[in-house]
Amino acid sequence: MSARALRQGTRVEPERLSFYFDGLRYDAQVGDTAAAALLANGVRLMGRSVKYRRARGLLGAGAEEPNALFNVGEQPRLIPNVQATQLVLRDGMRLASQNRWPSLRWDVASLLRAGGGLFSAGFYYKTFIWPSWRSYESIIRRLAGLGAAPQDCALPPVALEYVGCDVLVAGAGPAGLAAACAAARAGARVVVCESEPLCGGELEFECGRIDGAPAATWLATTLAELRALGARILTSTTVITDNGGEYIAHAEPGGVPGHNTVYRIRPRTMVLAAGALEQPIVFCNNDRPGVMLLGAAERYFARYGTQVGRELVLFANHDRVYASAQRLAAGGMSVCAIIDTREAAEIAVDGTVRALRESLIASGVQCLAEHAVIDADGGHAVRAAHIAPLRGGATSRRIRCDAILTSGGWSGALQTGFHGGAAVRGAGALRAGSASGSLELGAALADGHAAGARAARDAGASGTAGVPPQGVGDTAPRVRAFARSPAPRSGEKRQFIDLQNDVTAADLRIALEEGFIDIEHVKRYTTLGIGTEQGRSSAAVGAAVLAEFKGEVRSNVNASRSRPPYQPVTLRSIAGFHVGEAVMVSRRTALHDWHASHGGVLEPMGLWMRPRYYRANGANPFDASIAEARQVRSIGGIADGSTLGKLEIAGPDAAALLDSLYLSKASVIRVGRSKYMINLREDGMVLDDGLVLRLADDRFLATTGSGHGTHMLSHFEHYRALSGRGRRVTVTDMTEAWSVIVVAGPQSRPRLARVLGTSWQAALGKLAHMDFADGTYADQPFRVLRASFSGELAFELHCRPSIAVPLWEALVAAGLAPYGLEAIDILRVEKGYLVGSELNGQTTPFDLGMSALVKQNNTCVGSALLDRPAFHEATRPRLVGLRACDGRSQFLGGAQLTGADAPNYPCGYVTSSVFSPTLGQWLGLALLARNQPEGAELTARDPLRGGNTPVRVVSPVHFDPCSERMKG
Amino acid sequence: MNVLPASARHYSAWSLLRARFAGPGYWRPLWSGRTLQPAYDVVIVGAGGHGLATAYHLARDHGVRRIAILEKRLVGYGNVGRNTTIVRSNYLLPENHYFYEDSLRRWETLSRDLNYNVMYSPRGVVDLALTDDSMPALARRGNAMRLAGIDAELLDLPALERFAPELEARRKRRFPIVGALLQRRGGTVRHDAVAWGYARAASALGVDIIEDCEVTGVDATGNTATGVETTRGRVKTDRIVFATAGHTGTIGTMLGVPLPIETHLLQAMVSEPIKPLLNSVFVYVSPGHGETYICQSDRGGLVMGGHLDGFPSYTREGVWHRLEDVVQGAIEMFPRIGGVKLLRQWAGTNDMTMDGSPIMDKLRYDNVFVNAGWCYGGFKAIPASGAAFAKFVASGTAPDLIRAFRLSRFATGHMLDEPGQGPFPVRL
Amino acid sequence: MTPLHCPFCGPRELREFVFHKTLPAPTNANEFDRTYLRVADPQSSIEHWQHAAGCRAWLRVQRNPSTGEVLAVQMLDGAER
Repeated sequence: MSARALRQGTRVEPERLSFYFDGLRYDAQVGDTAAAALLANGVRLMGRSVKYRRARGLLGAGAEEPNALFNVGEQPRLIPNVQATQLVLRDGMRLASQNRWPSLRWDVASLLRAGGGLFSAGFYYKTFIWPSWRSYESIIRRLAGLGAAPQDCALPPVALEYVGCDVLVAGAGPAGLAAACAAARAGARVVVCESEPLCGGELEFECGRIDGAPAATWLATTLAELRALGARILTSTTVITDNGGEYIAHAEPGGVPGHNTVYRIRPRTMVLAAGALEQPIVFCNNDRPGVMLLGAAERYFARYGTQVGRELVLFANHDRVYASAQRLAAGGMSVCAIIDTREAAEIAVDGTVRALRESLIASGVQCLAEHAVIDADGGHAVRAAHIAPLRGGATSRRIRCDAILTSGGWSGALQTGFHGGAAVRGAGALRAGSASGSLELGAALADGHAAGARAARDAGASGTAGVPPQGVGDTAPRVRAFARSPAPRSGEKRQFIDLQNDVTAADLRIALEEGFIDIEHVKRYTTLGIGTEQGRSSAAVGAAVLAEFKGEVRSNVNASRSRPPYQPVTLRSIAGFHVGEAVMVSRRTALHDWHASHGGVLEPMGLWMRPRYYRANGANPFDASIAEARQVRSIGGIADGSTLGKLEIAGPDAAALLDSLYLSKASVIRVGRSKYMINLREDGMVLDDGLVLRLADDRFLATTGSGHGTHMLSHFEHYRALSGRGRRVTVTDMTEAWSVIVVAGPQSRPRLARVLGTSWQAALGKLAHMDFADGTYADQPFRVLRASFSGELAFELHCRPSIAVPLWEALVAAGLAPYGLEAIDILRVEKGYLVGSELNGQTTPFDLGMSALVKQNNTCVGSALLDRPAFHEATRPRLVGLRACDGRSQFLGGAQLTGADAPNYPCGYVTSSVFSPTLGQWLGLALLARNQPEGAELTARDPLRGGNTPVRVVSPVHFDPCSERMKG
Repeated sequence: MNVLPASARHYSAWSLLRARFAGPGYWRPLWSGRTLQPAYDVVIVGAGGHGLATAYHLARDHGVRRIAILEKRLVGYGNVGRNTTIVRSNYLLPENHYFYEDSLRRWETLSRDLNYNVMYSPRGVVDLALTDDSMPALARRGNAMRLAGIDAELLDLPALERFAPELEARRKRRFPIVGALLQRRGGTVRHDAVAWGYARAASALGVDIIEDCEVTGVDATGNTATGVETTRGRVKTDRIVFATAGHTGTIGTMLGVPLPIETHLLQAMVSEPIKPLLNSVFVYVSPGHGETYICQSDRGGLVMGGHLDGFPSYTREGVWHRLEDVVQGAIEMFPRIGGVKLLRQWAGTNDMTMDGSPIMDKLRYDNVFVNAGWCYGGFKAIPASGAAFAKFVASGTAPDLIRAFRLSRFATGHMLDEPGQGPFPVRL
Repeated sequence: MTPLHCPFCGPRELREFVFHKTLPAPTNANEFDRTYLRVADPQSSIEHWQHAAGCRAWLRVQRNPSTGEVLAVQMLDGAER
């Protein structure tokens, strides 16, 4: 194969490379797409359809390709569903066809075709009912799907770039470039996105002249001028959606996921000049490999020097086909016949075309007017076309050929403009070129220039756009709508409309027969136009055929509503750099590294990382936490409390704001004192709890639950704004400004005094429960608060993060061992203190035993709705303690509680449970219906984990009910 | 189009064979071809899942003869065809789990009941736990389900690995997976088929399904509604049912009753098809990130969704950053799918109530019924909602199964706040 | 949705803002109405948002929820900026 002559084209280099397709090695040239190289190697069969497993080849040359999808690379890191037409080959690349077994040529499942008539549109809704869908599903799932499921993924990071500009131009064909040039000359900052790797669009093969010179010259000078004017041209970049005036564009150079870029472009105005999609004409067996779009054939030759066939039959409904034929013939391909669906008189209208057609006839091309290709012969490749007159009923004739090139007109690539509801807002983009129906070069250039000038003006640019370029190319095609060749009803089953999903004309008939009349219904019922080419090759022609069947006259067809993205985008590109460890930010306390290097087992808690236990204290969390809790109760320990939310509220109205946010009043707190307070949500449920410290007359520090800090900050700020006190009170998040070390245990005071030194001795001795003292430590601001979440004598040390580690180490050296979250949980459950398990957004202050606070009658957020009757019913829960009746058995958080009278109707549930080393048994907290008295015997039902434990209702304060240890 | 549909063809493999040989003209319209009559016993506004199912049950179970469904656009054009197709009954609150279990039981037999394959696929719904302290919350829910006779299993890490090897549960993650709550009978249903199946069945029972007919007002005398005004003229009726998911708030406005509902967008998306990879439905809620759920359709596409776009909207245009969130969550669960491409994104318009549970009640008039506020649960609720609501409309008294979904619950404090989020559809 | 212009920071990416709630009709709304009831006007919605990932200002935003257009943005505390 290496003897093959070098091809020449706008996109191929003379250097050779090789690649593998289904295990066979092929030669290619640098710049080749997989499609171009395989065609050049004579490969026609490139895939199998999903439903009938019919042999398929290339239809198009770009993003419209529905058939030739490959698995690229090898497992585990394989990329499925890569369009051969977009994939630029690299040396040694390995490609494999999809949807076939054991091989592309001999596919077992293609035997399903025998039942072809049974698998009509929606057949699966009518069968597979008995015995159940599930019994068929696994087989059907394996037959469906396209590419292989990857076993792993190792794509490089995606670049994300925000781009601001005045004018965004989508498409760098003649219209887009004229628009960009006009806008840039007028002084606008211009960005151009072109899906193809090269600019120029149709200029790549259409031999037009612009401003008196060959189009290629204009292309080069225009690109140079644009660069000189500072315009940015992004190639291989497709605008995929409109996100409310911001356009998301995606660059995938080489047509395979790799070093991709996502652009978020915010233009003032936009010009949509993304060209037009050539539409196929439908006939029987139009899915045979070798039936292609006419424009695709031109592209393969101009770009890669690849001939799509030796003997061509062209089939079209417009004038452009004759110019194409001439170019293809000049490229060495033999044009056997040109089949035009229009009447001879209509073709003859344009003098240029008439002359061109006559010269083609003179050179031996059969030119037939008012004829159509009605069928194609061939299995794995086209062998002949059947031609029949559209009127008169004469019999068909057969023309040998190896390619049938169809062109049924163009449909504007407007989809991006429809996304994001821009049309609804009336802020739709300007359209230019073939995207807006200007299919002739001169018109497209004029159109583009005008749109660019207008866009620049709308964007505020004041310069002049200069003179519009004058172009002469192929004449306007004068399309006469023709979407489908006539066929007998039985033949409609082989008239393929959506090649990827095997939707045929017969399927559309069935849909109509069953009452699916609207295009949106037909799309959903038949799967028309939902393929990976986003309906580019099928949606418009499907809508046209549907209109024909419905007897509607529609020259310009309405396709179903398309959905973003305009081009499929890898999930990795969308995720950006938020993958793996970076999926979400990690919040770390100043002591994080110390914990990690001293056996702390760190676990996420919200976005924070907190030590669950320390390995030094036990081999597993259970043993370690028991040892840690025992140490706190016997001597003392230290815990990292830095994740507590800390909000500072300051200003003359600080007390008034807090009074409105807490169930009890903050204004009565004396300076130097703190108070346990709770917040209600607007509906009266408890939102959060914490301590409020009065630092000065006009300054408070409010602590919030660890997971609640951000939420509470917003809540405080909201009511600050609503109260109109904005100028007289500030709310500042101090969470990360203070590290918090909790020192708890009977020995905490003397050992802390030893560490803090003489200056703090007196203060420590004086501090009563809930008092705090401000001062300095290691020349830094420092605060000691005497408060306890363990029931032990305890102090919270608030220090600057910079001295947290040395302070912590000094405390460790003083014999205070660190304890983790599990031990904290044991200590607080023993004392009946609350955490998120109880403050779950479903509990009122009455439920949690805080009726006394409500009785203080402070008006605050949520207090007005507390007297709703449901909150006072006997079935509302209240917080209770639980112990196993036998004093030994385990019961777990999440167990449901039932009484003997109603064994399947829970009257409450276990919110938390721990094994208490102090009391030597399992203890629990529960939310239990109020009509279950203390002392009641219930069952903790835990079918999930296989346990039913008889439990007794006790006080939620299991340990030291008078809090002598804490307050003494 | 004044053709009365012949009685619908019975569907079976046999019917496909018959059609194969009978050629064109064998199949009959599923529902179309009726004309609007001047008067009905019941007018149902909205031909989505709930409206169609209600009509079907009114006709089948309660012998109501003259029923019309008036649809502004097309049968099944709203949320019934825009969801992520998940069905499950793994709810915590008894009012919810008994209701959704009733629905799940109906899903199990719906294809046979309707003679239309809705492709109920009990592939299992897996709620992942990301920290040890989220296990008790999952256990609380699962135990409540089990006591109500609903299937639920708590999977520890080894059990999860066995059940869903594709998850690579032990793989290192920012939020490590520690276990899961599994409901095996949960799974997916082909969404469009539900609308079409109910429409076909209702139509065969004589229900008039009128598309392209918008209701613009209600005629009333005192506390009794007498008819509706539509874009096709006035229609008299004894009872009116509003089943206009996504637009119930505006119905309230039309009737002068402000409702505890905000209208939000919920995005969904699908990847290009690939060969089977995910065998269950996976739900993942991470801190700061929100929820992601993912499953694989029978066609092979990875179907993904998350929580709301986050602000009231009727536009059906999802915002990009929410799509990013969902995709990030999906890749966090299944890192291997990074190279698979997103094919389509769309959005539904959801009635979000102020406690996250539905509203099924009379509204303003004695004979006007509203079936609304389905939040995230509308699709999976359809069969139970249709049966229970038909009973309500026929008898005038809400059956026990849906009594808790009354509108007055907010005033009395009997909210059904499953997640404990309070009167805000979007978490601050 | 069209971009939100924070009165303090200017136009910023939508991700930076957090929607909180829509407001009920202003006429004699009591605490229950304010907490639970919402106005459903498809043409105009008055809402509280916070520029949470920016200056943290609370905003009163008027939008058209049928088109996504932002009609007006003010500081919620009445500040003039």
